[in-house]
Amino acid sequence: MIELAHFQIVSGALFAVGMYGVLARRSAVLVLMSIELMLNAVNLNLIASAVFIDPSKFTGLIIAIFVITVAAAEVGLALAIVLRLFRSRATINLDEIELMKW
Amino acid sequence: MTENLHLLLPEFLLAALAVVVLAIDLFLPQERKNLLAWLSVAGLAGILALSLPLLWDRDVSLYGGLVEADRYALLFKAVFLVLGMVVILGSADFVKKRLRSPGEFYAIILFAVLAMSVMASAVELLTAYIALELMSFSFYIMVAYGRNNPKSNEAGVKYILIGAFSSAILLYGVSLLYGVVGVTRYAEIEAALAAALTNSDAVSPTLWIGLGLILVGLGFKIAAVPFHMWAPDTYEGAPLPVTAFLSVGSKVAAFALLLRLFGQAFMPAIDQWQILVAVLAAVTMTLGNVVAISQRNFKRLLAYSSIGHVGFMLLGIAALSAIGAEALILYMVGYAVTSMTVFVGLIAFFNVTGRENVSDLNGLADSHPFIAAAIAIGLFSLAGLPFFAGFTIKFYLFTAAATQGLLWLSGLAMFNSLISLYYYLVVVRHMYVDPLPTEAPGTEIAPDTGPGQPRAKPSILITAVLGALVLGVIFVGVYPFPLLEAIKAAVGSLLPLAS
Repeated sequence: MIELAHFQIVSGALFAVGMYGVLARRSAVLVLMSIELMLNAVNLNLIASAVFIDPSKFTGLIIAIFVITVAAAEVGLALAIVLRLFRSRATINLDEIELMKW
Repeated sequence: MTENLHLLLPEFLLAALAVVVLAIDLFLPQERKNLLAWLSVAGLAGILALSLPLLWDRDVSLYGGLVEADRYALLFKAVFLVLGMVVILGSADFVKKRLRSPGEFYAIILFAVLAMSVMASAVELLTAYIALELMSFSFYIMVAYGRNNPKSNEAGVKYILIGAFSSAILLYGVSLLYGVVGVTRYAEIEAALAAALTNSDAVSPTLWIGLGLILVGLGFKIAAVPFHMWAPDTYEGAPLPVTAFLSVGSKVAAFALLLRLFGQAFMPAIDQWQILVAVLAAVTMTLGNVVAISQRNFKRLLAYSSIGHVGFMLLGIAALSAIGAEALILYMVGYAVTSMTVFVGLIAFFNVTGRENVSDLNGLADSHPFIAAAIAIGLFSLAGLPFFAGFTIKFYLFTAAATQGLLWLSGLAMFNSLISLYYYLVVVRHMYVDPLPTEAPGTEIAPDTGPGQPRAKPSILITAVLGALVLGVIFVGVYPFPLLEAIKAAVGSLLPLAS
C-alpha cells in the first residue's frame, strides 16, 4: 500500500538533490535548473498531500498550479538578468562574478 | 462575500495606476518622462485619501477568508503608500539622470507597493506567497535596473538566485505543513496546531520541519543571519533609490507578513519557536552590527546596519504578545522613517557628487550643511539617541521584550545599540570634523558639475522630501502617541484574544 509518507520521501530526496545542485553548481543556469527541481519536489508533495489529506477541497492542487506559474515567471526573469550579466561580463560562472565579495 | 469587494478598491486602483503609468510611458517623449513621477505620486496620494475613509475601523474578511480588510492592514497600507510616495519623489532626480526607461521604473515601484499591501492583509498561505513573490519580482527587476552597470547586473543575479532558492525552501515548508494539517488559512492552521498540541505525543515531526523551513525561507527574505549573505552585495550593487526601497519597504512588508503569520497561525506553538527566533535575533543583531564597523562603502555599511535592525525586529517576533506586537509595529514605522532619511540624504549627496564611500563624505557639513545635518539626524536616530524616533522605538521594543521574559536578549540588543553608535559616529565625524577634500586629481566629476561650479546644489524637490523626513523622525521621537493609538487599534484586530 502506497501512503503519503512514500511520496514525502521521494519529494524529500528530489528536494535534497536540487539543494545540492544549488550549492555545488557554479553555472547560473544550472543553479536555476536545480531550483526548478526543488520546486518540483514541492509540487509532488502538494499534490500527494491534497489527495491523501484534503480530498474534498484539493487546495494543494491549486497551490501546485500557482507554483508552476510563478516558477515559469521566475525563470523568465532570472534568465533575462543572467543574459544581461553575460553581455556585460562574458561569463555566467558564479565564482567569477566577484566585483563585490559574497 | 461579493458585496464587500469594494473594500479591495485600493489594491485594484494600485494595479490600474501601475498599468496606466506603463501605458502613458509609451507616448511621452523622453524629456518629459518626469511627469510620470508626479502622476504616480498623485495616484498614490489619491488612493491613500480614498482608502482611509473606506477602510476606517473595519474588520472584514474577504474572498472566503483569503485576505482581511482590518485595521492592521489599513495601517500598513497607509505606511506603504506614503513610503511609495517618498521613494518616487526622492528618486526622481536620480532616475532622470542615471536610469533608462523611467516609466517602467515607477510602474514597478507601484507594483511593489501593491504587493506589500497584499502581504499585510493576506491571511492564507498561498495568497501571502503570491504577494511575497510579486514584491520579490519587482525588486529583482529594480536591483538589476542599472543596465550597463556591471555591479548592478551582478547584484541582480545574486539576488534573484538566492531569492528563488529561498522561495523554494519556503514553499517546501508550506507543502510539509499542508501535508500535516491539510489547510492553508491562518485561522484553520491555528486551530489545527492548538488541537495537535493538546495531545503532545502525537505531533508529527513533519510539522516541525515544515515550520522550520518556513522560518528559514522568510529568514532569507528579511536577511536574517545566517541567511543574509546576499544582502550586502545586493545593496551595494543596486541603484541607490532601489537600495533605499529594498532596505525599508521589503523589510517592513516581510515583517508585516511574518507578524500576521506568527501571531494568527503559529501562536499556539509559541513555546516551541520562541527560543529559535530569539537565537536568530541575537545572532542577526550581533553580526550585523559588528561587521558594519569595518565597512567603507556607505551603502554596504547601511546594509549591515539594516541587518542589525532586522535582529532588533526579530526580537519583537520572539516577544510576540499584544505589547510585543505594538512595539514591533512602532519599530517598523520608526525604522522606515529614519532609514529613509539617511537614504534620501545619501541620494541627495550622490546626485551632486556621484560618490558613495564613507570617506567621500568628508567636509559635507561645509559644502552641503543641510544634507549633512539630515544624514546626521538619521544616523543618530538609527543609533537610538533621545529626541529622535530611534530612541522611542527602541525603548518600547526593548521594554516589551524584557516584560516577555527575554531580558537577556534586551540586554544584548542594548549592547548592540552601543556598538552601532560607534560606526554611525564615524560617519558623522567624516561629515563634520574631517576637512573638505581639496580638488583631488583624477576624481570623476559628476555629470552636472562642470569644473567651474564644483558645489552643485541638490534640487528643491529632494531637499523638501528630506526636510519632511527629518520632521517625521523628530515627530515620532518626541510625540509618538497618535501613532501608538493607531497601532493599538491595529494590534486589536491582529490579536483579538491577546489584548
